[in-house]
Amino acid sequence: MTVSAAGGAPAPARRERLNPLTRLAAAGSTAVITTAAASWPLSVAVIAACLGLSVAGGNARRVVPAAAAVMVPLGLSLLALHGLFFPEGRTLLAAWGPARITAEGLDFAGQRILQLAAVVVALLLFSFSVSVPDLVAAMSARGVQGRFAFVLASTLTLLPAIGLRARRIRQAQEARGLVISRSLVSRIAAFRLQAIPLVLALIEDAGTRAAALEARGLSSPGPRTSYREVPDSIAQRTVRAILVLAALAAVVLRVVQAASGA
Amino acid sequence: MSSSSLTLPAQERPAARRRLLEILGALAIAATYVYLVLNQPADITGGPGSASALIALTGFLAGAVLLIVAVLPTLPASTLVLIPVALVLNIVLGQFVGSTLVPFYLDAIGTVLIAVLAGPAAGAATGALGSIVWSFFNPTVLPFAAGAALIGCLAGLAARYGLFRRFYLAPVAGFVTGIIAGVVSAPVAAFVFGGTSGVATGAIVSAFRAMGDTLLAAITKQALISDPMDKAIVFTIVALLVYALPRRVRQQFPFIRRHRVLAGDSAATKTGLNEPASGSASGPAPGSTHGSARNG
Repeated sequence: MTVSAAGGAPAPARRERLNPLTRLAAAGSTAVITTAAASWPLSVAVIAACLGLSVAGGNARRVVPAAAAVMVPLGLSLLALHGLFFPEGRTLLAAWGPARITAEGLDFAGQRILQLAAVVVALLLFSFSVSVPDLVAAMSARGVQGRFAFVLASTLTLLPAIGLRARRIRQAQEARGLVISRSLVSRIAAFRLQAIPLVLALIEDAGTRAAALEARGLSSPGPRTSYREVPDSIAQRTVRAILVLAALAAVVLRVVQAASGA
Repeated sequence: MSSSSLTLPAQERPAARRRLLEILGALAIAATYVYLVLNQPADITGGPGSASALIALTGFLAGAVLLIVAVLPTLPASTLVLIPVALVLNIVLGQFVGSTLVPFYLDAIGTVLIAVLAGPAAGAATGALGSIVWSFFNPTVLPFAAGAALIGCLAGLAARYGLFRRFYLAPVAGFVTGIIAGVVSAPVAAFVFGGTSGVATGAIVSAFRAMGDTLLAAITKQALISDPMDKAIVFTIVALLVYALPRRVRQQFPFIRRHRVLAGDSAATKTGLNEPASGSASGPAPGSTHGSARNG
């Protein structure tokens, strides 16, 4: 599971100076502008640039499999869907029963796949290169609820732990004689035997955690002091503002264009 | 057992502003949906349309974020800690079932579970937040945040009005939730992705496309086939899980006590007390760990 590797990414010291919000703004505006532009040369360029950055940043080993896990099924599904069945297509390349391979369908599928791949790679590059504690600290410093930060950080740390726990429960049930055969009934019974202990343990744990958080003043009002210094500078703030404005401009331009064209 | 702190005065934020944010969020989602459905033929086949994709992304995401901002500060800590658990359950149990061979997703088990335990607001926040956090690993779930929030909210409402008290009503509630959620999510799949991500769901869409449907119509029909069944299964699994929980654990949720969500818990509602475990479930329970730990 690619998921378990996220979070504690040891980023090189050089990139550590980048504020996590700057990275978020860069990834987000890249995704928005690529979608708005809808041109395949730009999509290819974005994919190449992101892959280059991830190789340079040393996290290509995690970004590429995660992106492939998302894009391969989606891409195959889109290719089969639009490549074989595109009633609006005019240029017939081949026909086989009800399936008609049209140039328009393949073009549509290809463009969509490239565009989505660019967005996916850009956002994954962000999530695998950002340091989650820094992101959380930067968000709380800007008035984002500490609660959102808790949910984000807690999920990222819980995921690998719960995967391990689910495996232990399966082993324990197998030691007690659980055999998972191919039949549906047996699978459902096995699911029940594993899911119930898992859910029960998780809810019990959550109760304990709630008490601990409450004791540390999670719901009490007032300002919080963060011990974590997140690097930021005027230049980065300017870059962030420009990126957000550029993304907004791209959206507005595209919508106006579509409205006047229609 | 109240969930607020006993040592600090409760801080009441202006409720009107939060209500306004909630309404704005719901309006943003509804308006986006109506706009997309009315405007759909314009750019879906004119190339990888981007205006509609952008509007779908912006409208649904903004709505989901507004809902989170409105709901999150109101949740008690005991509910808040369940949100990460729900998200992880969505992922882990969803993977266990495996969604490649059947045209289902089963990725909402955690969200529905929290909605049943803690109510519609918590369910909606879980759905929306869950999508945002999950998008750290799979950015394609991000546009479905509004749909996930809707599922959580509807599941909570079903629990609130007693549909989990009878075992046979839970799948019915899931079926109806699936119809609504499927119809709302279809424009996202159509305009943002131009298709579905699963192989089996893609085959169903292909079948409708082969009959000459537009992409949105084909995906909506696919959603109407897959989603109601999917949510009926999810609601049934959640009913199984909730009834399998020991009574002591179930009764620690105020929502379940107040609205008598589950069958057979009437004694607790009448007295309103957090009674000790009734010996049926998990042996000698050491009292209410939850409340006593906090008071200490």
